[in-house]
Amino acid sequence: MRAGGDGRRAGRLLRWYPKGWRDRYGEEFAALLISDMAERPRSLSRPFDVARGGIVARLADAGLCGFPVAGEASTASASTASAGTASLASLSVCLTVFAIVGAAMWSQLTVGWQWSAPASAATLAGMVAMSVAMMAFAALALLATLPVAWVIVARLARPGAGNVLVPSLVFTGCVAALFIGGRHFGNGWPGTGGHPWAGGFIRFGGHEWVGRGLVPGGFAAFSWAATLSVTTYWLHPAALAAFPPAEVAWMAISPLALAGAIWAVATAVRRAVLPPRVLAFQARLAGPAFLAMLLFFLGCGCWVASGGGQGLYRAGTIDAAGVCVLALALAVAGQAAWRSRRLGARI
Amino acid sequence: MAADKDDGKGLTGFGRYAGPATLILSSLADGAKHGYALTKDIEAFAGIRLAPGTLYEALARLDAQGLIEAVESDDRRRPYRLTAAGAAVLRVHLEAQRAAADVGLRRLDLHWRPR
Repeated sequence: MRAGGDGRRAGRLLRWYPKGWRDRYGEEFAALLISDMAERPRSLSRPFDVARGGIVARLADAGLCGFPVAGEASTASASTASAGTASLASLSVCLTVFAIVGAAMWSQLTVGWQWSAPASAATLAGMVAMSVAMMAFAALALLATLPVAWVIVARLARPGAGNVLVPSLVFTGCVAALFIGGRHFGNGWPGTGGHPWAGGFIRFGGHEWVGRGLVPGGFAAFSWAATLSVTTYWLHPAALAAFPPAEVAWMAISPLALAGAIWAVATAVRRAVLPPRVLAFQARLAGPAFLAMLLFFLGCGCWVASGGGQGLYRAGTIDAAGVCVLALALAVAGQAAWRSRRLGARI
Repeated sequence: MAADKDDGKGLTGFGRYAGPATLILSSLADGAKHGYALTKDIEAFAGIRLAPGTLYEALARLDAQGLIEAVESDDRRRPYRLTAAGAAVLRVHLEAQRAAADVGLRRLDLHWRPR
């Protein structure tokens, strides 16, 4: 009677783990759980321990951390490559979250700069640091994307490329939707057309800098429109209802398009299987990517801590929350970057 | 075969799993054991009870790295044994730990006095 009850409890706990893990270890793990339950019937820590292990196993199964379940042909070098890919995937996820939240905050400031120069030195320094980091992100993204795109295109050219074709088409569709929508809504916002500054210039570093900001107005508008969904308006439905329906629809659709693009890239990369040389190259980009994130974080922190000033420069609650998200993404990315570089050297 | 053996760093690549991994490999050094036997043996020689989730998290990593392998069995409780690569990695790791322990103990004996 007791063993039957423990068996059912063990079966329930086992559901935390992915199917592949359960197929490989499920029976023996359930036997261990039943023995453990017989010995410690009222353990409070056991469910948490099993849940944590199950979540880690699911993340490993998704290629985001650690080692996947050992297969028949498992070797140390194969599992090292797999762990290296998992670390790069974790870093990519953190970088994507960081870039989306960061771009939403940065685009607010770049759009603000189309109207007037930042009033405080802290905001100005923060803006310069964030803009340099965004340029570094773009350069690193290009460097990281080219070899991966080449591998996927080469895979598409070979017979039996069906498993890579669907994610490639989904990616193309999602990116096209983001580009077209970003351009449309960026062009539609009057503030992004730019206006001459009241003073016409700012003095910094012994020079007079003239212009409407650090980046072209169209690019600022595109970044703003592409990240329109990152807003506290979601918490104020009455205010949201006053928005044009097309804009609200875009705010709902753009995150889905972004999520679809991320899913498609992750799936295509997993199915195409990156060669060791590409993996090692990607691992070498992990350090610079982390440094760019750190630079952006410091710049952003500088702006938010100073309060920012008036108008679009004012740092609000969502900006403070954004800094917290950036800090979390940065901490996890730091671990993943360190692990990627270490494993990349052994691939 | 063993990635960790190649760089001579033992189990350093296991990060926070190095502790449970060391205990599991040490337990398997005297013969194959299944999960529950591992738990009891580790509790007996190290005074640490590895929870089931933690035990299998480390066990699966060691298995994926080729440092341990499953033994054919009709029992639900499948035993595992140390591989040659696992034995080499364990030796490197334990010798590094022993060197650090020797230094610490020697310095304690020579220099530390209660105030």
